[in-house]
Amino acid sequence: MNNLILEVNDVAVAFGGVKAVNGATMSVEVGSVTSVIGPNGAGKTTLFNLISGAIKPDSGTILFQGFEIQKLLPHKIADRGIVRTFQGAKVIKRLSVLENLMLGAQNNPGDNLINFFNPRARNAFEKQARERAMALLKQVGIERFANDYAGILSGGQRKLLDLARALMAEPVMLLLDEPFAGVNPTLVEKLLEVLHALRTEHHLTFLLVEHDLETVMNISDRVVVMAEGRVIADGLPNSIYENQAVVDAYLGTRKLNS
Amino acid sequence: MTAILQPGFWVFILTMSGIYGIFTLGLQVQYGVGGILNFGHVGMMALSSYTMAILVIAHGFNFWIAAASGVAVAALGGAFLGLTTLRLRGDYFSIVSIAFSEIVRYVIFNSDGLTGGSQGSLAIMPIGDAYPSYTDTWDTILYWIRDHLTPIFGEVADRDMAMGILVWITLGILLFIVSRVERTSWARVLRATREDDDVPSALGKNVFRFRLQAVIIGSIIGGIAGIYWALQVTLLSPDDFLTIVTFYAWMILILSGATKVKGLAIAAIFFGFLYGGTRFFTFWPFSVFDASQRSYMRIMIIGIVLIVLMIRRPQGIFGKREEMVLE
Amino acid sequence: MAEFVQLLFNGLVAGSIFGMAALGISLVYSVLHLVNFAAGDFLTLGAFTTFYLATSQHLPFVLAVILSMVIGVIVSLILEFILWRRLRRSGAGMLALFLVASGIAFILRQSIALTFGSDSRRFDLDQLTTYEFLGAQIARAQLIVLLCASIAITGIALFIKKSNIGKDMRAYADNASLAAVSGINVDRVIIATWTISGAYGALAGVFQGTVQGQFTNGMGLDLLLAILAAVVLGTIGDAYGALIGGFVLGVVMDLSTWDALAGGIPSTYKPVVGFAVLVIVLLFKPEGIFGVRARKI
Repeated sequence: MNNLILEVNDVAVAFGGVKAVNGATMSVEVGSVTSVIGPNGAGKTTLFNLISGAIKPDSGTILFQGFEIQKLLPHKIADRGIVRTFQGAKVIKRLSVLENLMLGAQNNPGDNLINFFNPRARNAFEKQARERAMALLKQVGIERFANDYAGILSGGQRKLLDLARALMAEPVMLLLDEPFAGVNPTLVEKLLEVLHALRTEHHLTFLLVEHDLETVMNISDRVVVMAEGRVIADGLPNSIYENQAVVDAYLGTRKLNS
Repeated sequence: MTAILQPGFWVFILTMSGIYGIFTLGLQVQYGVGGILNFGHVGMMALSSYTMAILVIAHGFNFWIAAASGVAVAALGGAFLGLTTLRLRGDYFSIVSIAFSEIVRYVIFNSDGLTGGSQGSLAIMPIGDAYPSYTDTWDTILYWIRDHLTPIFGEVADRDMAMGILVWITLGILLFIVSRVERTSWARVLRATREDDDVPSALGKNVFRFRLQAVIIGSIIGGIAGIYWALQVTLLSPDDFLTIVTFYAWMILILSGATKVKGLAIAAIFFGFLYGGTRFFTFWPFSVFDASQRSYMRIMIIGIVLIVLMIRRPQGIFGKREEMVLE
Repeated sequence: MAEFVQLLFNGLVAGSIFGMAALGISLVYSVLHLVNFAAGDFLTLGAFTTFYLATSQHLPFVLAVILSMVIGVIVSLILEFILWRRLRRSGAGMLALFLVASGIAFILRQSIALTFGSDSRRFDLDQLTTYEFLGAQIARAQLIVLLCASIAITGIALFIKKSNIGKDMRAYADNASLAAVSGINVDRVIIATWTISGAYGALAGVFQGTVQGQFTNGMGLDLLLAILAAVVLGTIGDAYGALIGGFVLGVVMDLSTWDALAGGIPSTYKPVVGFAVLVIVLLFKPEGIFGVRARKI
């Protein structure tokens, strides 16, 4: 079991009596791409927020590289190497695109006020980080906006910025919240290309949340299906199609929706 | 009318502007960078000035040590305010911060034995039979400067002019330091927290720590303003620290465009004229009103300017409109 | 025991006034997302217009109070039409709303000072008659204030709960965009909100002036701290919370001076007690007493 980087054990959380996640158990292998899918309201995003520390579980444990992280604050979890993107992409609109990326730089001496009196260390780090940030912007293809306010970017470009900023933090595991939702096909290609490169070159571990199975079919090593706050299936992408519980869950919501 | 023609009037306006400029700079760090809506800033000024006055008068401290202690107490006040309430939602923080400064003033007003109560610093019990003054050391410096100014300005050079010069030198130095601090990555993180907590936290930044530091730094600068205030008025009174003083600073900050340090000095001078200048409007038609009525009208004018500013030009005189409309 | 009853009674009277003023602030916040820093000065305005109408113009006191409430409403509505509406349309942020509210506060307070001077005033009412109850001295004026305030509070609570406008107000406060598309008349909700806030502010001001005996143009400002504390204590935007917050704060502040509690706190420090209560509650329950844990994202 040593190759498990993340273990979620029987985690539950409720909001005002509604059980958003109700005893979910799943795990992620080192270097894999694992996708969590499920109909709306299945608790996918809540599970994500639990892993990244934005909310605290009522019960259950979450282990990252063997350490319990379910009680840690979000920034402590990020320090351990779990970095997330946001549903619909969050950018700091009144910072430039480059400044947004620079936020991701870890252990920046300039973040510590004491180093105000140590400009040499600050400037050296900034210079190096800026070069890395520009390289990342180039990689995702938005380097021409580097000095513009991030607020002027289109939805798709914001997704690229969100991803690049997460990469700037040099994560061990990357959590991507619906990275392909509302993105045009060309951009999906671009994103997949970037993900593929990261996987092969940097051996990153990925955990994705998506609405549909189709989107993540080809890139996932494993698929976890959630419905009504529980994990109802877990396996290879192909095996998920044949799983009766999954079919029921999706058909069930489709009936409710129509 | 004649008052306006005298150099003393201009020196007075500039000195007050400078002190308010320093005071506002503290808010600039908190709001302009960190988006923190602190309405209790005047409390820090009260803490530092009274601490200094009490230590010098009642305990015979060296002025410099007392002044440093005053600023330190202001920093502690900021830390207390931040630690207890900074985790709250933004609007809660604003309300509690107002309450904080009012409580400080309230305690000063009612602690006769320590602060002189409603009679101000004149009623602080001095050591032995000394006169309850905390300005002796400072006056020595001011008179030394005056003596060096006399050859240049002649009779016009006086204690007040020396004071004005020192205030503006201090403001200049602080403006320089703050503009440098605002170029660090510390300030970049803080600017991010102004819009959103989730992004910086997800990138490993302890948002609370950054905000707390901003409040403490702002309080230290507010504390420095408090020391200068004490030296300028020479006699402290609890009424010097009404909540409205914080709003004066907000007005200067909004005028200057909030996010940029550049306009602050000019906005402070503009306020100085509005505030101090109207004091000397003793000619017709203002002569119809007596002095206290004119002082009521002065604050009314400031209220009107605040409202018109927020409706007509919320980005201030020097602010960029585009920064405010980004969605 | 007599002292306890006395303090409890005083606290209830103070609390009923805090609660009425806090209710106005909380309603305005829930509907308009605006912390009305001028609310304290609307209390002062109510007290001074009543003083002017009753003492200088010799109108019957009750009529003067009603007219003052009408004036409070008119001033609130004028401000809505010339300021708040415009600011909402231009998408003004929290800071702009704060600063405009304080600007209004300065203008109101100084206009009152300009008109009436800074001398203290008193209503021409019987302040001396007292009743004895369990050893405590209960002033008739206080008793009347407590009774009237209780009626006013019950009335408004029923109004918000039962009336159509009240239901619309709650729906609008819960979800403004949903309420607007579901056919709620938004203008009517906003006007009703300012009407309640203006009328109750003036009434609370008259009550406070009566209880205090003497009052100056700084009365409302002195009270604002306790009122805001009551609002936050009861969770900002929650009308019933504000009422309860007001009573809790009024009673705690008065009881803190009780001799039996380690000699009690000097009564001049009452506002400090109010603030301390607020900070302690917020430390353990950052959303206020009635806040629910919000769902994130």
